[in-house]
Amino acid sequence: MADELQNNSRRDALKTLFQGIGVLGLGGSLWGSAAIKLKASELTLRPPGALEEEDFVKACIRCGTCVEACPYDTLKLATLDNHTAIGTPFFEARLVPCYMCPDVPCVPVCPSGALDVKVIAKQIDGHNTDEPDIRRAKMGIAVVDQETCLAYWGIQCDVCYRACPLMDEAITLEYKRNERTGKHAFLEPVVHSDICTGCGLCEHACVTEKAAIFVLPREIATGKVGEHYIKGWDKADEERLINIKKAETKESSPEDVLNDWEHLLDDE
Amino acid sequence: MSINRRDFVKTTAVAAAATAVGMTIPKNLLASAPDVSEGGWRWDKSVCRFCGTGCGIMLATKDGKIVAVKGDPAAPVNRGLNCIKGYFNAKIMYGADRLKQPLMRLDSNGNFSKNGKFKPVSWKVAYDEMEKQMRRSLDELGPTGIAVFGSGQYTVQEGYAMAKLMKAGFRSNNLDPNARHCMASAVVGFIQTFGIDEPAGCYDDIELTDTVVTWGANMAEMHPVLWSRVTDRKLSDPDRVKIINLSTYTNRCSDLADIEIIFKPHTDLAIWNYIAREIVYNNPESMDQDFIDKYMQFATGFVDTGYGMRKPDHKGFTDLERQTVKKEVSKIISKEEAVTLGYLGYKEGDTLEMKHRASANGHWAITFEEFKKGLEPYTLNFVAGLAKGNPEEDLASFRVKLKLLASLYMEQNRKVVSFWTMGMNQHTRGVWVNEQAYMVHFLLGKQAKPGNGAFSLTGQPSACGTAREVGTFSHRLPADMVVANPKHREVSEKLWKLPAGTINPKVGTHIMKIFRDLEDEKIKFAWVNVCNPFMGTANANHWLKTARKMDNFIVVSDSYPGVSAKVADLVLPVAMIYEKWGAYGNAERRTQHWKQQVVPVGSAMPDLWQYIEISKRFKLKDVWGAKDIPGLEGGLPDVLDKARDMGYDPEDTLYDVLFANEEAKSYAWPDPIGEGFSNTEAAGDGREIIGTNDEEWKGYGFFIHKYLWEEYRTFGEGKAHDYADFDTYHKVRGLKWPVVDGKETQWRFNSKYDPYARKEDAGEFAFYGKALKSILQGDLRGPIPSKGKKDLTNRAKIFFRPYMDPPEMPDAAFPLWLCTGRVLEHWHSGTMTMRVPELYRAVPEALCYMHPDDASEYNVAQGDLIWIDSRRGKVKAHVETRGRNRMPKGMIYVPWFDEKVLINKVCLDATDPQSKQTDFKKCTVKIYKA
Repeated sequence: MADELQNNSRRDALKTLFQGIGVLGLGGSLWGSAAIKLKASELTLRPPGALEEEDFVKACIRCGTCVEACPYDTLKLATLDNHTAIGTPFFEARLVPCYMCPDVPCVPVCPSGALDVKVIAKQIDGHNTDEPDIRRAKMGIAVVDQETCLAYWGIQCDVCYRACPLMDEAITLEYKRNERTGKHAFLEPVVHSDICTGCGLCEHACVTEKAAIFVLPREIATGKVGEHYIKGWDKADEERLINIKKAETKESSPEDVLNDWEHLLDDE
Repeated sequence: MSINRRDFVKTTAVAAAATAVGMTIPKNLLASAPDVSEGGWRWDKSVCRFCGTGCGIMLATKDGKIVAVKGDPAAPVNRGLNCIKGYFNAKIMYGADRLKQPLMRLDSNGNFSKNGKFKPVSWKVAYDEMEKQMRRSLDELGPTGIAVFGSGQYTVQEGYAMAKLMKAGFRSNNLDPNARHCMASAVVGFIQTFGIDEPAGCYDDIELTDTVVTWGANMAEMHPVLWSRVTDRKLSDPDRVKIINLSTYTNRCSDLADIEIIFKPHTDLAIWNYIAREIVYNNPESMDQDFIDKYMQFATGFVDTGYGMRKPDHKGFTDLERQTVKKEVSKIISKEEAVTLGYLGYKEGDTLEMKHRASANGHWAITFEEFKKGLEPYTLNFVAGLAKGNPEEDLASFRVKLKLLASLYMEQNRKVVSFWTMGMNQHTRGVWVNEQAYMVHFLLGKQAKPGNGAFSLTGQPSACGTAREVGTFSHRLPADMVVANPKHREVSEKLWKLPAGTINPKVGTHIMKIFRDLEDEKIKFAWVNVCNPFMGTANANHWLKTARKMDNFIVVSDSYPGVSAKVADLVLPVAMIYEKWGAYGNAERRTQHWKQQVVPVGSAMPDLWQYIEISKRFKLKDVWGAKDIPGLEGGLPDVLDKARDMGYDPEDTLYDVLFANEEAKSYAWPDPIGEGFSNTEAAGDGREIIGTNDEEWKGYGFFIHKYLWEEYRTFGEGKAHDYADFDTYHKVRGLKWPVVDGKETQWRFNSKYDPYARKEDAGEFAFYGKALKSILQGDLRGPIPSKGKKDLTNRAKIFFRPYMDPPEMPDAAFPLWLCTGRVLEHWHSGTMTMRVPELYRAVPEALCYMHPDDASEYNVAQGDLIWIDSRRGKVKAHVETRGRNRMPKGMIYVPWFDEKVLINKVCLDATDPQSKQTDFKKCTVKIYKA
């Protein structure tokens, strides 16, 4: 019985994208075709505390210590079939999600630093401590396919919401009136990308044949706003300016532009 | 869609029938005529298998299997929507380990042995052994030696047939449903207050009210479709509409609520009295004086009534158990009780002797002044101090919330609906707290009006329709009649065509007592119908051992092998809901019928057939002679002579008399209403099942379901329990009874909406229920017989009920409260939903929800496996400090759907002494790492 439910691999998620289904989440931002260029390996979910994918793959010595430390058998080492660097640890949320152990046993045991406590360091007054904080893990982001999510049909489901270990923070319910029935409300799950750790308990619990909520690596599932515009209504948004480089300029000659008559008088 | 001539005739007939009974049928309802699509599947209307909400669904059948389900867009309750359990209705019947043939414990020679292993047997072998074992118990112990565990998931016809078989046939009142665990306190509350069972209002109140107050009702998980209606109402006018959630822990209802009130277990009794005190003492102008004067009577009752436990000297108890059970006979008055029972002269440290255990239901009329005196101690200060349930909450903020709650109830022109379920019903003072809800609504005149009312929600799909209305309780007969009332027995004997004196006047054993009597060997044969009581009953260790170790015979009719089947001696495979004809009644008095959609799997047979088949094996001479009944002087009379006078022969079987009489045979099968549908009981179903007589089952030859419905509804006709005829229900999306002149009733007791109230000509309202309407008069301390009785025709009662402590409270040895209940994803004991792969993976195990600080204090961590250990037993579960239920410090929650976490081993089997309903919401435990 599990087999029929286990078909939601990363590849399937990719296919969903190609089919052009409007995948929403993350406060309603649409994303899509950029994923075409992705290599399958970039869709792999890594353990908490992993370095950026490129650095992680370089640093990981394929020792399997993290896999042994995982009490839920969530982590596996990649084989030839897994479309990622062989021997590196990863997990498939639909099969076994990350249960977000408060002591994060998989990270401190890493001998190479590929999994680094600093990445998920517990913060006190804005300063990192030596303790891990699983809430700071960024393994991926849950994305809701509104077309197949039963809650968006009006079914009283919200299994993902109740399965979420950060319920009411990472997933909240948005209430909307159901004009068709005139007396029932939609209770729609919405993922908050700043809180979601990508543990995948939602994807694991989802009752549709192929999960309508699924976790993608953050890099794939998030967009990025240019630094030239700052939210006028959000003081904190100015922090993005801290990293700004000198404004880029491009040089070209105005005469060349003036002398370029191509297409200007089309009947010639 | 093209419409052929036959369809046209059919749909026209539907419309004509609807016009005849004065109903408007929405256009899209015409789809109710079976619609066979080009793809070869057929849609037909039915009802969800699960909770008491009563959502309408449509089922698609193809090649003899249910292939799909959809919410019925024409169903007024759910308008095409479902919750996640309803979404999986199509999948519940096809679990891998579905029971498909009778299984019995056999020894190596193929004979029944209590210690044998389950092996397949024929229906005949199964019934031969069952008959033998029934006779053994009846011969040794009489009619009280057998018992049936009934259900709020019986179809109406099943419950009615079993009630008739037990009460008219075997003359045993030992039939009691799992609904006893679910809403018995609500029932006693209704009967004592209104004189008639079931809510005055209906679900339309949700759209019409301004205020929804949930009291111990996690509607967001337990009644999700109704909760989506509450949510919609809130969204429709967010400033005006207020939602208040009262609970002992933070649940999903709090998400929507404007105010969340977390109270200490059992102190809901004090909070209701605080509201009443605010009304009576500080805001008397908010009282509807005219309503009170015309339609109400103040009343109160005994407090020294025990907690529904056995006496501590019972040999089966351990010393640890006795620490709690001793309170059944007396208890020491606590500091709080010294305040709340001060009106009886008790002081802290006094001993309260439980003198009225046997007359717990006793109550009498008092004056308004006495009522007011009783409320005096429930000041804001006292109640806030007593009731604040979250140690982390500031007392001042809790006081503000209580005050706001009272003011919302009192606000002029504000409509208020109070909803409750198990929090108030599963309560050792459950009847009291139900009555307190009516107390507040009555004082304000906010009851039995559109958008105003105290509304008892129901857990099971036909707890109302079958368990209550049919009366599958140990004390009840159909239509709110009771076995102890000679007039009611007379009416029932007449309708059932029985000789006078057949029905046993002695109330039978309630479900908790069936278990206790099995342990005490007062019952030696028990039959489990449509429920899983060995998993669902508190203090389970006693009962599991009883089933396996004592001299008894347990039969379990079920669809999947649950815990009850495991401890049984004989397991009979049943047809599931859509494999049989049936009807359910939901919490708003809506009766909904459906047709058999598919043929049952394997050799499974409908429950109804199983009950009726046993009736063929007993003759009148076996059961209608003189019988001894413990506690009934003179026993039951021999009625065989009178039976002869009525034309019966002592050699007639119970089948001939009760189920296959002339009246029954007049309901022919085939019947136009069933055209195109199977009827396994009436005509067989092509499977060539070899029946209980070793011959191929070819059917009774008549429409047994229609006969049972039509006979059943004569009980309520003209008595404010009227139903429509069988065929009508197959054309409409259910009707709310009483159905008078073809019209359903939305608000009872209100002359504007209820023809029965109008008929009384008593004014705007008439609380016309007939039960307990002539009562003694007295004062707060007790009845004063010299004052004589008071007639309360057309009046309801406003009860004063005090706060008392529950029988078990946290102490040094067992420092934590334990609360049990359900989760949205699973139904009851999980026999069905745990077999739907998607629901299983969504919530594969029962977790122990606790506050993170408690986890640290007891040295356990998120995800740890721990023991949950009480004075009665222990189970292991994993710790969850996050998630859906946010516990206050000092309390844990463990749902009961998971047989691997059989939490009822831990729970206390204390009950409300009046309703006999178990309190599954509070007992005390300790926890430690496993």
